[in-house]
Order: sequence, then C-alpha cells, then structure tokens
Amino acid sequence: MSKRYWRSALALVVLISLFAACKAGGTTSGTGGAAGEPEVLRVWITWGDNPAQLQELFNRYAEANNVKVEVNSPVEDDKVIAALSGTEPPDVLVLGGPDNVASWVNEGLVTPLDEYIAEYGIDLDDIYPAMLAQGRYQGKLYALPWGSDTYGFYWNKDLFEEAGLDPERPPETMEELLEYADKLTKVDENGQITQLGFVPDFSWGHMEQYIRLYGSFWFNDDGTKVQLDTPEMAAALRWEQQFYSRYGAEEVLRFVSSTGEYDSSEHGFMAGKIAMMVDGEWMVGDNFIGGLAPDLWYGEGPIPYPAAHPERKGTNTVGGTVALIPSGVKDKDAAAKLLAWMMTPEIVADEMVANFNLPSSKKAAEDQRFYENEKFVVFMDLASSPNATYQVFTPISSDLLDELDLIEQQVLHEGADPEPLLQAAQAKLQPMLDEVVGK
Amino acid sequence: MEATHTLPAPSQAPLRKRWSARKRRSLVTGLLFISPWILGFLLFNVYPMVKSLVMSFTEWHLRMPSVWIGLTNYTDLLQDRRFWTSLANTTYMVLFAVPLNLFCAFLFAVLLNLKIRGQSFYRVIYYLPSIVPVVASSMLWMWIFNTNNGILNAFLGYLGIKGPSWLTDPAWAKPALMIMGLWGIGNTVIIYLSGIQDVPVSLLEAAEIDGANWFQRLWYITIPMVSPITLFNLIIGVIDMFQYFTQAYIFASVQAGSNAQRLGAPLDSTLFYSVYLYDRFQTLRLGYAAAMAWILFIIILICTLLLMRSSQRWTYYEAEGR
Amino acid sequence: MSASTAVQLRHHIAPRKMLSKILGHIVVFTVGLFFLVPTLWMFFTAFKSRTDVFRFPPTLLPHDIKEVTLDGQSYPLYRVPVDGQVREMARLKVEEGNGTFVDPENPEDVVVIRARLAEPVMTIKFHWHNFSDAMNRSTRPGLTVNFWTYLKNSTIVAALTIIGTLLSCVPVAYGFSRVEWPGRDLIFILVLSTMMLPFQVTMIPLYLVFTDTLHWGDTILPLVVPAFFSNPFDVFLLRQFFLTIPRDLIDAAKVDGASDFRILLQLIVPLSKPILTAITIMTFLWAWNDFLGPLLYLNNPEHFTLAIGLQDFQGQRNTAWNQLMAASVVFTAPIIIAFFFAQRTFIEGIKLTGTKG
Repeated sequence: MSKRYWRSALALVVLISLFAACKAGGTTSGTGGAAGEPEVLRVWITWGDNPAQLQELFNRYAEANNVKVEVNSPVEDDKVIAALSGTEPPDVLVLGGPDNVASWVNEGLVTPLDEYIAEYGIDLDDIYPAMLAQGRYQGKLYALPWGSDTYGFYWNKDLFEEAGLDPERPPETMEELLEYADKLTKVDENGQITQLGFVPDFSWGHMEQYIRLYGSFWFNDDGTKVQLDTPEMAAALRWEQQFYSRYGAEEVLRFVSSTGEYDSSEHGFMAGKIAMMVDGEWMVGDNFIGGLAPDLWYGEGPIPYPAAHPERKGTNTVGGTVALIPSGVKDKDAAAKLLAWMMTPEIVADEMVANFNLPSSKKAAEDQRFYENEKFVVFMDLASSPNATYQVFTPISSDLLDELDLIEQQVLHEGADPEPLLQAAQAKLQPMLDEVVGK
Repeated sequence: MEATHTLPAPSQAPLRKRWSARKRRSLVTGLLFISPWILGFLLFNVYPMVKSLVMSFTEWHLRMPSVWIGLTNYTDLLQDRRFWTSLANTTYMVLFAVPLNLFCAFLFAVLLNLKIRGQSFYRVIYYLPSIVPVVASSMLWMWIFNTNNGILNAFLGYLGIKGPSWLTDPAWAKPALMIMGLWGIGNTVIIYLSGIQDVPVSLLEAAEIDGANWFQRLWYITIPMVSPITLFNLIIGVIDMFQYFTQAYIFASVQAGSNAQRLGAPLDSTLFYSVYLYDRFQTLRLGYAAAMAWILFIIILICTLLLMRSSQRWTYYEAEGR
Repeated sequence: MSASTAVQLRHHIAPRKMLSKILGHIVVFTVGLFFLVPTLWMFFTAFKSRTDVFRFPPTLLPHDIKEVTLDGQSYPLYRVPVDGQVREMARLKVEEGNGTFVDPENPEDVVVIRARLAEPVMTIKFHWHNFSDAMNRSTRPGLTVNFWTYLKNSTIVAALTIIGTLLSCVPVAYGFSRVEWPGRDLIFILVLSTMMLPFQVTMIPLYLVFTDTLHWGDTILPLVVPAFFSNPFDVFLLRQFFLTIPRDLIDAAKVDGASDFRILLQLIVPLSKPILTAITIMTFLWAWNDFLGPLLYLNNPEHFTLAIGLQDFQGQRNTAWNQLMAASVVFTAPIIIAFFFAQRTFIEGIKLTGTKG
C-alpha cells in the first residue's frame, strides 16, 4: 500500500545524495583536477571597487605559471570567517586591514610565513618597516602588507577664500585647526548650521592618527598592555570634543548626518559642506573626489600636530591591506609562491598605481607613475617620512575598538568626560588581554 | 481488509487488549506518513539543540580543542553590559512594534474594506511594499530618514516640524526601524481583510438595525470575530520579533561602510539580541553565542506560554462556540 | 413611518453618508501615500545618475545637468554671473578652482571666473542604462558571474524549496489529521512547539554540520534540503485545511477499499488545490527573499541568490544606489506582475493561510 510512497521517497533520497555528491565534488578546487588540468588557486580580496582590474593582474601570474587564478572580490567580512574555519579556505586571503589577524592567529587559523620567506625569495628589507610591523604577532610573521594606506589633511580652498583665509595655507597646529574651524563654521538665524569647519570623527581611521600625534597609542609596542587610561588619550578626546561642544553637539550631529553617503557627491567634504577633514589617500582617486567631485578645489597635506610638539609634524599611521595564507590551505607551497609574486616590486607598483594606494615596497615606490599626480605625491612623502608610524594589534583589538568607539560617541556626541569612561574600559580590557597573552 | 466492526469503547477495553494488531498497524501507518517530519525533527531540531546546549558550556574553538567551562558563559553574559542592552532593545521592539504592527494592519484592513472606489488599486499599493527585497527596502528607508536631505524630514518641514535625526539619534533609531517595519505589513493587512470579510453580514446588519454605530459594530462584532487571527499573528509576531535581525544588520553594515559606526550604532541603540549574537559568532565566541541562543529560546517559550494562557480570555472561536 | 418622515429621513442620511464616504476616501488615500511614495521613489531612483541620487533638495524625477554640444563634444550648461547679468554658458573645464565658460552661440566669448559662482542648469533625464548596467554588473570577472546568475540561483532555490515543502508537508499533515494513530495529537503539539525554537539555537551547530561534516558549504544544499523534511508552519496550515474535508468522503473511500495513501493522492490532494497554491506562493516569496540562509552558507558568488546579490551593489566604500534600485525593480517586477493578474488567487491564498489560525 505504501509501496509507491516508499519508492518515490527512495528515489528522492537517491536524487538528493547524487546532488550532494555532485556539489561536494564540484566545489573542491584548490589542489584539484585530474592530471593535465591546471591547478586552480583562489584569491579572496575583501575590498574591491574594481574587480576586473584585479583579475587581470592575477591572470599574469596564471599565464606565467600555467595555473588558473580565481579572484573573488569584494568579499563580505563574515564570509571570511566562514572560509577560514571551513575546509576550503582560499589560498591567499587579502584583507583591507590587519585588525583581526591577531585574533585569528590565536584560533589557529593563519599559517606562519617565516619558513616561506627565504624559500620563495620574499625580500623583507624591501618592505617599509612600519607596514611590515602590522603582520607580526608574538615574534612570528603572519601577514605581509600589499600596498598601504595613510591619512592626511584635506581642506576646501574655495571655502577658505570665502572665509578670508589664504587657500594655500592650511592650519599647521591642532590649535590653529580649531581657530580655522571657527572661521569656517556658519550658523543661520535659526541656529542651524549651514557649514562646518571640521568634524573630527567624520571618517574612520582618525583615532589612531590623533593618538599618535599626541604621542601615545592604545596598546604598548609588544601588545601586552592596554593604554587607554592615559592623559594622552583623554587629551585627544577632549580636543575632539571641542569641535562638537562649541557649536552644540546636537546641531553638529544633525548637520553631519544630513550630509550624504561616503561615496556620493553629497559627501560632506565633496559637497562643500564641511571645510576640512582627515581622510585616506584613496580620496584623491577616481573612485572618490577625482570621479565624484572633479571640480572641487582642494588641498592636501599632513595632519596638524599639537603646537607643543613640532617634532611630531608629519606623523601619520600607515597601515592597510595585508595578505595571508589560511592554515587550512592544503598546498601551502603553491600559495606561498603566489604570495611571493604579489610582493615583487613590479607587481606592487602596478597594483598600487591602479588603485591609488601607497606602495609597500621601497623599490616599487621609485616608480615614476606614483609621482604624476601631485596630489598623491603628498601621501607618498607622508608614508616615507621619519614620523610615519603604525598601529599595534592584539587578539582583543576588535573588543577594544568597539569600546573606544562607544566612548568616543559618548564624549563627542553627548559631552561626557573621557577619564571615567577610559578608566572603566581599561579595567575591563586589560584582564582580557592578560588572559589571551598568557596562553 | 477486515470487515468493519465496532471496536469496544476504550474505557471499557482491558489494558492488554488496547494494542490490538489494528492499532499497531495504524501506528506504523501514522509514523510512516510523518516520517519526513520525524527525520527532520531529529536532524535539524534535536541534534543541533543538544549540541548548542553543550557548546554553551564550553569555550568552543574551531581548529583547536574546546574547553569545558561550565556555567562561565552564562555568568559572563549576565555581567555583559552589551548583552543587557541588546535584550532591552529587542524587548522594546516586542513590546511596541508587534502591537503597533497588528493594530495598524487591522486598521488598514478596515480602511481597505470601505465601500469606496479604487479599492483593488489601493490593495495593490498597500501590499506591494511587503514584497520588495529587504536589502533594497532597508537602504531605501535609510535614505528617507536622512536628517536634512531625506523626504520624511522635508515633509515634516512643510508642516513646520523640525524632524529629528532619525538614524543618528539613539532615541529615534528604534522608532525609525518601527516605521520602516510598518511599511511592510501588507501581508498581515490582507489576512485581516479576509478575516473581516468573513464576518457574517447577517450579524452586522442585525446590529445596525438595533442601532449600533460603525464603531460599536467594529468593537463588539468584528474585532472579536477576528480574534483568532490576532492571536495567531501576535504569537508569530512575538516569536519573530525576538529574532529580529535582517533590517538591523543591513542598517548597520551600510552605516559601517561610511563612518566608523559599528554594529548597533548609534550608541548601541540598534544592537538587537540577534545582531549581538551574530557579532559574537563572527568574533569566534561560539560558546558564548550558543549560550545567548539558549537564553533566547527560554524567553520565547515563556512569552508564548503566557500569551496562550491569556488568550483564552479574549479570543473567540466561532466554530467552537466558546 | 409616514411618507413625509421617510423623505425627511432620506435627506438626512444622504449628506451624512456622503461625508463619511469622502472622509473614507481621504483616509485611505493618505495612508496609501505612506505606502506609495517610497515605492515610487525607489522606482524613479532606478533611473537617476549616481550624483543625482542624493541631490538636495530631493526631486522625485531624475534630473541631470543639461548639456550642449560644441564641435562634437558635450559640455554642461551653467548659469554664469557676468557683469551683473546671468547668462547660460557651457563649461569647458575647471582648473584650480577656476572655471572656463563659453557662450554656446558665440564660442569666442570666453569667461573665466571662480567655478563655485556658477550654478548648473538642470533638466529631467532618465538613465535607462542603469538597468542594463545593473543586470550585467559582472562583479567577479574571473568567475563570469553577473546578475543573471543570481536570478538563476534564486529560481533554483525557490523551485526546489517549493517542491520539497509540498512533497513533505502533505503526507505529514495528512498523517496528523486524517490518519488515526495513538499519540497523534500529542506529537502534533510537539510539532507546534518547534515553531518557538529561534533559529539562533540551531544555527551554529547546523552550520558546523553542513560545512565541516557534510562539506555542503558554499552550495545551496543547506538551504534546500531541510525543506524536504517539512516545516511546522505549513504542516499546521495543511492540517487545518484537511480537517475541513468532510469525514464522509474519506470514510466512503475507505469503505471502497482504498488505502490511506491512495486516499491522500487521489482524493485529498485534488481537493486541496487552493491551499496548495497558497503554500506555493508563500514558500516562493519566503525562499525568494531569504537573506540569512544565503548569507551564512554561500561564499562563492557563483552560488549567490538575489537576496544577497543585491548586497553586491554595496561595495567596500561604495553603494551604487541607482543600480541597486534598478536591480530591485527587476527583482520585484515578476512578483508584481503575477500579483496583478493573480490578485484573486493571491488573496484567497493568503486568506487561507492566515485566517485558519
């Protein structure tokens, strides 16, 4: 009676298992393929405004080595975890920033690269030390920088001229910056802001610049101590706070939130609503100001330093893209070979020129193409300045950054005092770091 | 097949004889029919539940051995400020958004039932937003809520009201999400509409003759008659709202792209339980996330039971004549 | 009632009814605006240029700078203040804050002033190419993936989910309704209680099982296979429906010697067309829009469905809003069209699923 039912059920089960077998077999790339088929290497890149250009770049390796390289870009951050912890991670993973590398190393998800350096001829001396430092953790090297970013100061020359300021003379010190902001902020009869001089937390990547300018950082150099509860940290936050409290935090927030998306021509700076900003070197490229606001008359230079410390002029924190090999990769040699190729000066030069990023290789930095765009030159100089420094990362980096973000919001947007908040965060995070480091 | 004969009434039949061959065969038949469910239940419900319960008592690592830590995850949770924030945020939505959605869905259904021209056109308009993909609608509304440039505040401006900073003011972020949620209730509206149309016309006419006005007819007849729908949607609504994730996640990921706002911005006001759980999952705190999941389950169980208990007071089932 | 009173009454009723009718119109219309305006906005944004999406003040219709052709090249038109007058001139270039403007009718007439002093001339312009751009947005050139891929994947997932749901839920629901067996109702309560299980509880272990143990990571199998094991919601609905089928019909068939299974196939299923259609529609909509499942399990863009494919338009620091909206319009269009034509079936179906609660 239920024979027919069972027959169809059985058929279904068979179908599903066939399907499963097919799919499972089909998705296995990596060191796969029957003899004669080219090996497939997978490269995942979390950012990617121009995936076509990336694929083209990697095709050069593919042709030269008789393999196939599949570029997946952009990749959502969540997918990265899934891939790393799964059985089919990409052969090379390229991240926008090294924030999570330390915590992944802790979970055993990343391959140490030291043994592959000599074997595949990766020239560590060719890499800027500040950029190389990002990939080191507990004495081992886990990631290599592939191009880098840094941050500079931008100002709107038109608005300077309108306000009676010399468009070719940006503020030198942080105190001057405050004065300029006053002149460049306009409020109408109703008390509403129509133009803002400077918004300290406008872009991401600002906090590390300020704290370095103030002479400190939230981790010590070997990543064993949390340094939030310091006078420098409080001073930096208080300096930022002024830009909100002077004009009324609520009004400033309203104004800022009404400016457009980061990548739109309604971006606060690009639309001429915010006169000065701290942002990355990619801004000058075609994906941003170059393409969205080509008419903008603006200048770029180093971030202002605290007047009491002129020796810190030109301080900037470099950091950015890093490439690593997940620990689950089966053919690590093939991956290391690809990674080594990525680090060669010619490749670094080509890739960074195309994307308006800073080269991480000293030899690549000699490529004349980087100096054609005078706006970009400013950032090249910043990256090679003696005051160029770096960020320190630990496995609790993302917890600390979450806390710091909340603190910053409370200090700037709600006028809170930074000291007690920093103390509380310090008390919470130091034990966490101790636990992780102690392992 | 055997010839039909009457079985002895169960209460009279001796215990031994209850499991007659016939009964056994019917048990087998029954189980066979529901076998897909049984398999699914074991594979997709029981097994993961047990495993996640075990995980919640460990510090779970992916490529390294996991460590049994007993109740530590739970005690850590209770001291985690962000856990309580996320719970409060989600409870807020359950307490306000669910009744609001139901109330408005019913109200809009009443409107769509009015005898005026163009109703079929209006019905399409009310229903359409509920099938727009959630990614698109979330982003669309993010733009609508823009403080100075969005059309909502522009519209309020015409009325002389200074609209708030919907997405950057912690006090207004959740109301903004609720308004956006309201936009997609077309599905529930249609369900209520059908329920309202099912109310026997004879009852309504009798009431009208007796002198009841439209509000009294609504209150004393229509609302009780659709109370089963209300109960069903209330329970489903509560269960779903406790798991509220997608819109908040998209809001957060779009905002994170532009400024340094992390999940839950501004100031953790949109850090919902499910969002925080996902964040713990992403930062590889899997045991912790599992503990959060189990606490959520218990909360939902309690709420559902409470709702069902109380429902006996205010629901009316015509078929059962309660 | 006397004739005169009746006439009086009618005069009184008529304006009252008119008033409430007008009020009704206004309210329905106003609420309708709440639903309609954002939808319209989404639709028109699909036609806007990248810079137009966020222009302030916002306009419903797509606008762009008017262009004028000189010597075969297109130049934008601006209102330029010259000597106290405002003239419409074409802008040739901008350098270091200075704009070079030229009279389109008299190209010799050149004016150079600060670019910020000139206002662009706007006109309505529909960018139809947004649609083709969005659909062909080949985000992974190495893998030849584009929007059509996502569409295909979504369709496959939806189709398989519907098949699995119907195949499994029908016998299960029947088992819980018209087959008598001991413990049936008790176990049904168990089925219902699983609806209260939040997905978070099972998400992590299931994820580990699907990816680590079964190696189904990055396929659509984790999304589709569970559908073949029924789900409590549809089982509940079907059961409620089956309970409304008169016992006599089934008993008659039993007397004729039909097995339970034959009764199901040849009697119940044909009678259940409306509810089955309703479930098909609902399952389709659910699978089409499912976001979290694909988010968790699909890594390779080759397998992405539309729901997360739309996230593609949101790059690392970019969001191509106009293309996103264009893609969404395409994504939603088939459903809208189906709804228009099958409005009756749709509503009947939703009614069946919602009102038997």
